[in-house]
Amino acid sequence: MNILVCVKQVPDDFAKVHLGENGKPALEGIDKVVNAFDTYAVEMAVRLCENHGGRVVVATIGAEEEVRPSMVQMIAVGANQAYIYAPNTADADESAVAAGLAELVKKTEETVGESFDLIMCGKESTDEISSQVGAMLAEKLNLSFVSSVIDVKLVEAGLCVKQETEEGSASYEVSCPAVVTVAKPEYDPRYPNLKSKMAARKAVIPYLTDALSPVQPSVRCMNYQEPAKREAGVKIQEKNAVDAVARAIALMADDKVL
Amino acid sequence: MGYKKPTAEMIEQLKAIMPGRVFTGDDMNSDYSHDEMAFYGKYQPDVAVEALSTEEVSAVCKLCYENDVPFVPRGAGSGLCAGCVPIAGGVVIGTQKMNKILGYDLENFIIRVQAGAFINDIAEDCQKHGMLYPPDPGEKFATVGGNVSTNAGGMRACKYGTTRDYVRAMTVVMPNGEIMRMGAEVSKNCSGYSLINLMCGAEGTLGIITELSMKIIPQPKVTVSLLAPFVDLDTCISCVSKLKMANLNPQALEFLTRDNVQAIEKFLGKTVYPAVCDGETAGAYLLVSFDGYSQEELDSTLEIAAEVFSENGALDVIIYDTPDGLRNAWLVRGSCLEALLADFKLMDECDVVVPISHIADLVNYADGLQEEVGLVVRTAGHAGDGNVHINVCSNDLEEEEFMKRVDLFMDLVYAKGIELGGLISGEHGIGSAKVKYLEKNLGAEQLQLMKGIKMAFDPKMLLNPGKVCYSL
Repeated sequence: MNILVCVKQVPDDFAKVHLGENGKPALEGIDKVVNAFDTYAVEMAVRLCENHGGRVVVATIGAEEEVRPSMVQMIAVGANQAYIYAPNTADADESAVAAGLAELVKKTEETVGESFDLIMCGKESTDEISSQVGAMLAEKLNLSFVSSVIDVKLVEAGLCVKQETEEGSASYEVSCPAVVTVAKPEYDPRYPNLKSKMAARKAVIPYLTDALSPVQPSVRCMNYQEPAKREAGVKIQEKNAVDAVARAIALMADDKVL
Repeated sequence: MGYKKPTAEMIEQLKAIMPGRVFTGDDMNSDYSHDEMAFYGKYQPDVAVEALSTEEVSAVCKLCYENDVPFVPRGAGSGLCAGCVPIAGGVVIGTQKMNKILGYDLENFIIRVQAGAFINDIAEDCQKHGMLYPPDPGEKFATVGGNVSTNAGGMRACKYGTTRDYVRAMTVVMPNGEIMRMGAEVSKNCSGYSLINLMCGAEGTLGIITELSMKIIPQPKVTVSLLAPFVDLDTCISCVSKLKMANLNPQALEFLTRDNVQAIEKFLGKTVYPAVCDGETAGAYLLVSFDGYSQEELDSTLEIAAEVFSENGALDVIIYDTPDGLRNAWLVRGSCLEALLADFKLMDECDVVVPISHIADLVNYADGLQEEVGLVVRTAGHAGDGNVHINVCSNDLEEEEFMKRVDLFMDLVYAKGIELGGLISGEHGIGSAKVKYLEKNLGAEQLQLMKGIKMAFDPKMLLNPGKVCYSL
């Protein structure tokens, strides 16, 4: 099984991000990490290949110096090869990103010399959280698609994937090649051992410039707004628990919450 | 000593000193009656005050001293040995509102703070200035005054030492209200008896610290952690001295047993440490952190560390060098207490410190007592300095029966710690909860000497009575 995982580098989601003077998120000084959902996808892909054979390729779009450490980390935790593509479009919207990734898939297949059976993305990135790119990528590649996958198994017809739903889960059979987006599975992504990390640091990670065609974004973000500051709460000062609960209920009733 | 209660007149005088910040009766927060270990007993003070300045603290001390009323300083109340509990009643002087960062002298690597500032706020503020406040105790929302008063240690003590090593100077209100400046913002000091070092670890029994000048250092640029799983604790601990002999100067060096890690990971809902490496099940782990000023500098350290681990029985060496990895690796170690509190209704802890080579002896001994005393034992601790946190817990016992068994357990464990050449507390302190064990550890003569020191500072024995070196 040949698997490609599309990886995005995002600001560390533990950092508080505020808007800068230009009205855009001020990201200077904030650590960059691999999008958490992409790390789940890589772990799922590596486990599949460990059990059934195959190769995991990871690819990303970004400036080489900036994204290389993330690609090194993905190799250290089991990916066999990584590629970095120079950005093709400034201020890309989701459709433009998906178009870039579709081209990236084709170019990577040409470079590797084999086609991919499965293309995986995180179900969303923890910075923009649009959850659109995976579905759009499948559309552009004209491939079958399942979102929010938390488990994947090989079956005769292709793949059996378990999708996380609001109520529980649903299982689907999908023919390959396919695109899936990955949610948090039952397990956690592994951390590398020192030997594999040191080896990964020496890995050759091709940086492909001019490989992706520029795309005109059709949706533009006009501006960002920070969430409104929460108003100060009401302190319930009743000492007795029964009185305190009665007061809380009365307050909620006044505000028509109850 | 017959302690007096504050009179109505004295309470009025307190209100005149700090209007709106004097509390009595139902207006007083019940938290003033205990610290983090309410289990050691609750004692509500007669009055609680919230001070804003050294002068206010001085005025309150003077008033209490003149009226023979006992008084107790209190930071965030995060202590673990009832050090801030007003066991003789009287007045509690809260310092939490004295929480300002007063400024820096970066040329001399000094931060000046009020004693009620949280460790968390000091650490974050130092970071903004490109500096590091090295002491790193587990409880980040403890006050720096409390940390100095218990000579708090924490994970980074392995490389950077304990809080004591960072105290340059302090403002102290003596029990009679006199204000003194002890120490100076200098690097060396052989100018008479070191009063600041007496104040460090005195648990608020000699004077009340109101302001501090603390040493800080430039913030290291890179931090990397390694985790080495071992088959058992003996192999794990025997690796510690080998690692230190390699002169690698780890920032932190912690050990955890597998049963503890399993419980913590269940509590956190995530797997961070591998349970099995190449088919072998881990029984214990060493978690080590290195910091430095460049990746290149750290790389050679990491390679040597990996070699030491591999040659000394490590099943693997996992690296945590991403923000998420570092956070998770240390979240496991830092969540020991929370995981225990979630799993058990009743819990007590001791923090015996032994020579590093005897850590495994102590932990194995404590583990072996589980059946004898009928309590669950969970351990983790600072492998780099021999400070072992041993927790005993139960879900089934009534509190009275639990306390009886804890007494038995503590007697045995402290005796073992002393037999191994240790001391009964590495960083939690003595408070009122551990006085009897300290006497067994150091002997009546040393406690009498300490009491003599206490009397030199506090002839009326009014400040935080019944703590550290004598019981009421």
